[in-house]
Amino acid sequence: MATTAAAPAIPATDSYVGTSGVWSWLTTVDHKRIGTLYLFTSLFFFLLGGLEAGMIRWQLAVPNNHVLSAEAYNQMFTMHGTTMVFLAIMPLSAAFFNYLIPLQIGARDVAFPRLNAFSYWVFLFGGIFMNASWFVGAAPNGGWFGYAPLTTLQFSPGLNIDFWVLGLQILGVSSLAAAFNFITTIINMRAPGMNLMRMPMFTWNAFVVQFLLILAFPVITIALVFLQFDRFFGTNFYTIAAGADPLLWQHLFWIFGHPEVYILVLPAFGLTSEIIPTFSRKPIFGYPVMAYATMLIAFLGFGVWAHHMFAVGMGPIADTVFGVTTMLIAIPTGVKIFNWVFTMWGGSLQFTTAMKFAIALVALFTIGGISGVMHASPPADLQQTDTYFIVAHFHYVLFGGSMMGIFGGIYYYYPKMTGRMLSEKLGNWHFWLMFIGMNLTFFPMHFSGLYGMPRRIYTYDAGQGWERFNLTSSIGTAVLFIGLLIFVYNFLIAGRRGAIAGNDPWGAGTLEWSIPSPPPEYNFARIPRVTSRLPLWDVKTPTLNAEVPHTDRGDRRLDVDVGTKHTGHSHPNPANSYPQQATESGMHIEEATGKSAKDLGIPMPNQTIKPLICAAGLTIMFTGLLFIHEDKHSLAIATILTGALIMTMSLYAWVLTPLEDHH
Amino acid sequence: MPVPPRLRRLTTAALPVLAAVALTACNNAAYPNSIFHNHTEFNREVGTLFKILIYLGTAVFIFVEGLLLYVLFRYRRRSESDRPEHVHGNTTLEILWTAIPALILAFIAVPTVRTIFSTQAKARGDALQVEVIGHQWWWEFRYPQYKVTTADELYLPVGRTVNFSLKTQDVLHSFWVPQLGGKRDLITNHTNFLWFTPDSIGVAALNGMCVEYCGASHANMRFKTFTVTPAEFEQWAAHQASPAAYGAIAPAAPAGAAPATGAAPAATPAVATADTTKRGASVSAAPGAPAQVAADTGAAAATVQQAGYVSYPREKLPAWTIPKTPTPAGLTFNTALVGNADRGLKLLSTGQGGCVGCHMIAGNPVMMGVIGPNLTHVASRTTIAAGLYPNDAKHLALWIKNARMMKPGVIMPTLGKGQYDPVTKAVVPMGLTDEQIADIVAYLQALK
Repeated sequence: MATTAAAPAIPATDSYVGTSGVWSWLTTVDHKRIGTLYLFTSLFFFLLGGLEAGMIRWQLAVPNNHVLSAEAYNQMFTMHGTTMVFLAIMPLSAAFFNYLIPLQIGARDVAFPRLNAFSYWVFLFGGIFMNASWFVGAAPNGGWFGYAPLTTLQFSPGLNIDFWVLGLQILGVSSLAAAFNFITTIINMRAPGMNLMRMPMFTWNAFVVQFLLILAFPVITIALVFLQFDRFFGTNFYTIAAGADPLLWQHLFWIFGHPEVYILVLPAFGLTSEIIPTFSRKPIFGYPVMAYATMLIAFLGFGVWAHHMFAVGMGPIADTVFGVTTMLIAIPTGVKIFNWVFTMWGGSLQFTTAMKFAIALVALFTIGGISGVMHASPPADLQQTDTYFIVAHFHYVLFGGSMMGIFGGIYYYYPKMTGRMLSEKLGNWHFWLMFIGMNLTFFPMHFSGLYGMPRRIYTYDAGQGWERFNLTSSIGTAVLFIGLLIFVYNFLIAGRRGAIAGNDPWGAGTLEWSIPSPPPEYNFARIPRVTSRLPLWDVKTPTLNAEVPHTDRGDRRLDVDVGTKHTGHSHPNPANSYPQQATESGMHIEEATGKSAKDLGIPMPNQTIKPLICAAGLTIMFTGLLFIHEDKHSLAIATILTGALIMTMSLYAWVLTPLEDHH
Repeated sequence: MPVPPRLRRLTTAALPVLAAVALTACNNAAYPNSIFHNHTEFNREVGTLFKILIYLGTAVFIFVEGLLLYVLFRYRRRSESDRPEHVHGNTTLEILWTAIPALILAFIAVPTVRTIFSTQAKARGDALQVEVIGHQWWWEFRYPQYKVTTADELYLPVGRTVNFSLKTQDVLHSFWVPQLGGKRDLITNHTNFLWFTPDSIGVAALNGMCVEYCGASHANMRFKTFTVTPAEFEQWAAHQASPAAYGAIAPAAPAGAAPATGAAPAATPAVATADTTKRGASVSAAPGAPAQVAADTGAAAATVQQAGYVSYPREKLPAWTIPKTPTPAGLTFNTALVGNADRGLKLLSTGQGGCVGCHMIAGNPVMMGVIGPNLTHVASRTTIAAGLYPNDAKHLALWIKNARMMKPGVIMPTLGKGQYDPVTKAVVPMGLTDEQIADIVAYLQALK
């Protein structure tokens, strides 16, 4: 696909000496290259999901329009939601997890580099599988939420839902494997002195998100396996004629679905928490509270799922409980907003493109949060649910929140990833077109919703008071597209023409900026030793950073005497109290040397094709199931067995191959 | 006749209601489905709560965004050498912005919980019962107290609490009349309830719609709601409960499956329940069918009674309730053809076109299907195809000719001879000719 073709466009640099060419990308186990692959692939899917959105807005621009048929529209909105959630925003976040977590915690790779490659290939194949449905004219059409019984065989006999059910399971494998990998990485591979309360805010958010993933994905997997068994093997989990209760699906789906919202938005919060301090020249305000708020949001996120179901008639007790828990979640979220604002308070704000996107997240997510509280109230929600008011709300959360944060992250980290700067001039155009386009598209939806326009309708009648809002939304989408094209142009040319970035173009404080851009394959020639949350600022502006409150727990791992008793209480930053020891132990700046891991004698994991083959086997296995509905049973069994064989054999080969050569 | 208590309540409520109508009527044309025009106690309560949320939300919005803008302006970088002081937090502030939102939320939570319990309390015992049954993609409405079954048009008496029991025949749907109340989902193998009391005849014709995605024609699953005076309602219900206004034949034995009173001989409307005695006067009033129809057909039609209020007057329909859906390109019908209702009746009764398989026309013993909408009084409805097209000769003819082109995914087959059926992707070889369709349309239009 275009993604693999586009990937080698990343300029070959010193860090990948001797490892260029397509084959090196297919076999890579380097977290940075995998992160790059994730970035390119998910941006491609983001454009695809954007095109789907464009078709939706084109169809809805005027009443009784005929751009899309009902069937095509239903496929379009289903795939828009599915693509944006599972193939764009989640993997865009995964791109940053991959690239940044090891750099931010001072590690040379993730805990399981080959599993990491496997996660990526499964994601890619899952995305291709899901979109292959277009080519057989049977794209999923049951909505991204896939409510039973509409998705059961009785009401959706085609292959459409089969692609969806199987595709999501494939993608779930990818997310789960990655989540376990990152949790292990963060727990085990932090550099000496990097205790949890010294971790950069992005890593904190990423850490919490991985727990959300491993707790939420099994639930949707159960829901999907039930549906899959109903569709392929005649079970009756959702068969209404057999007395099934369709609410089983809804509860399972939303127990996954609500934490999923935080899976989508917390990584962007993390990026924002990196960007705002840097361009305010101030540390994040209330670091511990930010970390605890993230955890609290994640925890409460599992107790609010039924607020998606206030109209199903759960009764007043359930409505009350879920209404109140939903309101509670606004508190830690509000804390984050205020902490960002007060990070900027008293700062010296530099409005780079990255900063503008981060500020846009704060401004726009606030709107999504406020409308969120409006439908936390169940009786009021009855007038909002399943109308365009909700569409407005969650696009403020997911576009205004997640995507703004992610674009900010791309502008912020592109120099680290490529060694070159994105154009600020084009970035400025991109930002303003996107900011204006976003509001032009989604703000009017509040009104069309309040004026009674339902969601998921492929057409609407004239004279219902919805015309002007829909037309405005559609114009807004066109503006968004222009902004997006500018971004794509900027993204593609900056790799060759952008200004050289150097280690630390922004004056940031965290570890990833202490090493060359792009980082060498081994990341850190010396494993850093960390004495504070902002090790780079300790070096560059030590007097300002003097009073970082933190415990000395992490210092024990440094094996140096910092001169205090291990009381566990807050004490001034040892970097300043005891500069001599601290410098010897922790201060870290590495200039580009052009030396490879081999030159330095650093053992790195070997490249291998096996994770890719294993992921392909897994996908072939799932593909085999599709033939069952074509009544080609022997072909189905043959394909499933072939896939299983490829998967197991490559897994064996993978397990029996050592991770790295011993020097 | 003593004034029923609900009418007295209505009279006392009339002034504020009229005032409200006067205020909102001007806007209603612009935004006919606005949730801010509330015509039931249910919606007024929800609306009050929503207004609290909107005011508080706006206040929070102004405060946060204002603060943000202030910070962005006040603390913009003035010099490259700016080195602001590193502040790491402030416990007092952080407690404040935890506590104040919590207080605001408590302020929202209290009326929320009160409204949850008041709107979900049990409906009053004397409420009008309406069963709403969702189908892909149309609405079946049954009034068990009146033995009425109709489709896609809901008549509700003003001032009387109506208790809906919501069910679905297939997938999930959701019932919503923005200005009256809802939403409440129709869940397979569940029965949901929703009640409210319409209290406006000023804005009487309202749109309703399905708001849970239910497949191909989810967008085309609409309905109309008419809030009428209690007297009009009684007349309407009595008429709807009576057998077909044209061509009704007394069956040999009562048909068990028929939900309407059509089982009884047409000439003497069933007076079997306590309800019917109440409305007896209007039922027996003015027997006799419209003149031109009677001339056409003779005996059968002449015996059918005519109620005073049969349907919402077409000429009073506000613009927003008249569908403007364009008909599909390439689907035409010769409107010059004049159908004959008698021939249409014969066509249907002999099973031509297969209408008998799905549709019910009470009083016509052949037409006993329960899959599609009940057509006993189809001509009294203002729209067809679940609010998608106006109910007139042209649209009825096109609908019969090729329903599947008129409404994507619809279960009703394409019936016109030589028509392309977009579902089977084949031309219909043995269908109805335009002449036959014109006859059927003439018959259906006689079913007032």
